[in-house]
Amino acid sequence: MAAISSDTSHKPRISYHEFYTDGFTPREHYRPLWEHIQSVGQNAFEAKVHESQLALHAEGVTFTVYGDSDEGIERIWPFDLIPRIIPASEWSIIEAGLKQRVRALNLFLKDIYHDQRILKDGVVPAELIYQGKDFRREIMGIDPPHDIYTHISGIDIIRDEDGKYLVLEDNLRTPSGVSYMIENRVIERRILPEFFAKYRVRRVEHYPALLLEALRAVSPRGKGQAEIVVLTPGIYNSAYFEHTFLAKEMGVELAEGRDLVAKDDVVYLKTTTGLQRVDVIYRRVDDDFLDPLVFRSDSTLGVAGIINAWRAGNIAIVNAPGNGIADDKAVYPYVPDIIRYYLSEAPILHNVPTYQMTNPEERAYVLDNLERMVVKAVSESGGYGMLMGPASTAALRKEFAVKIQEDPRNYIAQPVVQLSRHICYMDGELEARHLDLRPFTIYGDDINVVPGGLTRVALTKGSLVVNSSQGGGSKDTWVLAE
Amino acid sequence: MLSRIADSIYWMSRYLERAGDTARLMEINLLYLLEAEEDMSEGDKWRPLLSITSAETAFSGLYGEGQITQGRVLQFMTAEKSNGNSIRTCLRLARENARIARDRISREMWEAINELWLNVDQQLKTPLHPLRAGQFFSIVRSEVARFHGLTTTTMMRGEAFGFYRLGTFLEQADMTARILDVKYHLLLPDLNLVGSALDYYQWAALLKSLSGYEAFRRKYHAGFRPMDVVEFTIFEQEFPRSLAYTVKRMRRALVDTGITGKQRSPAAMEQLESMLAGNSAERIFSTGLHEFLEKFLVAIAALNQAAQADFLDTHMEEP
Repeated sequence: MAAISSDTSHKPRISYHEFYTDGFTPREHYRPLWEHIQSVGQNAFEAKVHESQLALHAEGVTFTVYGDSDEGIERIWPFDLIPRIIPASEWSIIEAGLKQRVRALNLFLKDIYHDQRILKDGVVPAELIYQGKDFRREIMGIDPPHDIYTHISGIDIIRDEDGKYLVLEDNLRTPSGVSYMIENRVIERRILPEFFAKYRVRRVEHYPALLLEALRAVSPRGKGQAEIVVLTPGIYNSAYFEHTFLAKEMGVELAEGRDLVAKDDVVYLKTTTGLQRVDVIYRRVDDDFLDPLVFRSDSTLGVAGIINAWRAGNIAIVNAPGNGIADDKAVYPYVPDIIRYYLSEAPILHNVPTYQMTNPEERAYVLDNLERMVVKAVSESGGYGMLMGPASTAALRKEFAVKIQEDPRNYIAQPVVQLSRHICYMDGELEARHLDLRPFTIYGDDINVVPGGLTRVALTKGSLVVNSSQGGGSKDTWVLAE
Repeated sequence: MLSRIADSIYWMSRYLERAGDTARLMEINLLYLLEAEEDMSEGDKWRPLLSITSAETAFSGLYGEGQITQGRVLQFMTAEKSNGNSIRTCLRLARENARIARDRISREMWEAINELWLNVDQQLKTPLHPLRAGQFFSIVRSEVARFHGLTTTTMMRGEAFGFYRLGTFLEQADMTARILDVKYHLLLPDLNLVGSALDYYQWAALLKSLSGYEAFRRKYHAGFRPMDVVEFTIFEQEFPRSLAYTVKRMRRALVDTGITGKQRSPAAMEQLESMLAGNSAERIFSTGLHEFLEKFLVAIAALNQAAQADFLDTHMEEP
């Protein structure tokens, strides 16, 4: 748990620059790229930018922003041509850290929904779990195939002012973005193939193959009989592009809730030739909407009876229901302890220091220093329900102060970390923008981290908010081979 | 395959085909009007088009009775959002259905339909000028044709392809019957009268609306005899938009979708086929062309419903 920080952390610190060492000199691993960018010339580069826009437009690589209209607004995926490069030595730390974290969080979920040893041992406070909005008591005692809960994780990583990689948040429910990671690579290679000649960039496009293998691995009827579907809420969902992308790449059906039916604890697809049995459901529908018989009864997105079929061991649900309790932002401060508890290892990746609003002393400190804090509602994601202290108004801070006092369990606060910066091509200029990284971890027979990830960029100068739903952009992310 | 996806592919084809057919119809009507008699009112020139697309009620609901002008029809048939059959609406729905079935259609198909929609949506943000309209229609037509070409060369044969073809040919048959019915009403049904200049332009317009003008000329050298036009558009096996040709293709598409073991569509298909088999232009004229076409349109609607019940509405039976 974070101690009350000393005064030094209040001084505005300068963010780490991924690209330059001192504002002029590119870091060693960026030098060949830099020389190449210089040699391309402004006009040619401008043409490449235009070309990439046309390609994204024509292919319909979009995401949907929820707006006033019921249908949402489809936006073209924002993409910056200058890649982010991660050297092999740095990647090996990230990779090991993510595997460790996912393994521990998976054990945590199994424990929470069975014996709850960690609560009995007092490592994590029991009331924190019981009060969590995403703790699903309905699934206590269910054994998912192979004891896997966190099949797909997208754990967000940032770099602090010293360039150290830190975990910003765990996403263990239905993390999205992997299709954009791949599309970014496809576009980058098509538009700027000459960039790749200078580097040995590790591949990311086999992600769907790894995913398919992991989905097959958890089929209750065994790999040989694995009828798999991707379950989507439908075309108005923000990540619908990704759902079709993954179904298509894996060659499996993309289903909506109304395409499935559960009978006698077996789930079937409604096809033109009748009902067809399903073994594995990679669902991109939230827990709340998954089964109207168990969770929200008004949901039309889910399948009545799917949880009973899961309980009976007839299907695998990927990711498992109930995962939300492990990526609850109020549980996040305990993850290093969770790693030590289950694995008896020191955490490889550290957390951002976090204040817990349920602790009166920490709460008082945060309330006194709101303009220096990032406050997050524990149950929200995608940049919603957040206070960015330095960029906030007094009125907004007051509003959050009231909310925190009324429901401390629902908020955490972190000192503002100046996310690292990277050059981006903006209206003809190279400008620095803050960014983060979401790598993707797959847990099937084994745990795999695809070498790369989605680098999200805050398009507004100085902004630390990178979510695409909040107007963020993205970059192709290169992990270099040794 | 999923019933819902089959449904989307079927409707994607129908809406796309409808957009292309409407564009051709509008284009020909625009050109034909340039050559039509001067004492014809604007309403007379454009009413048949509304009638072909069954849009009269919606049109008068929007603009009131007796207000058919070229500008309004142009706007109504291309951009009007409340018109379920406007080119814009058809392309929006085609693209939406393609998006639903995106994992089932080829990348080339998706990109073509997506680009067409984006392009048309952009162009229709400002009213279409009559002098620019011809070019617009021509682009829509050729893009729809390009889509069919890409589909033919990139889509796996099988069930999904069957639904794509069923939708396309059913829509084509429907449009041919409608054009024939309405246009024929306008033309004097005097079987022996051939030769006036007006006749020439009107029959030519009908055949051009079906992309059949040149083929017809090559086959028949005796001018535009109504009997020949009916023979050609209904029975000609070699003409891609004749009723006989489209019905034959619908049968084949139905087999691809897996007709075996189905209840309703085989019966509806046979009903449709029986209207053509053993029939002739002479016999149709003796009982009335309009009556025949009306019955044919009903049979098409019945096949649509049967296919919906057999394949597309969700089934609860276990395999």
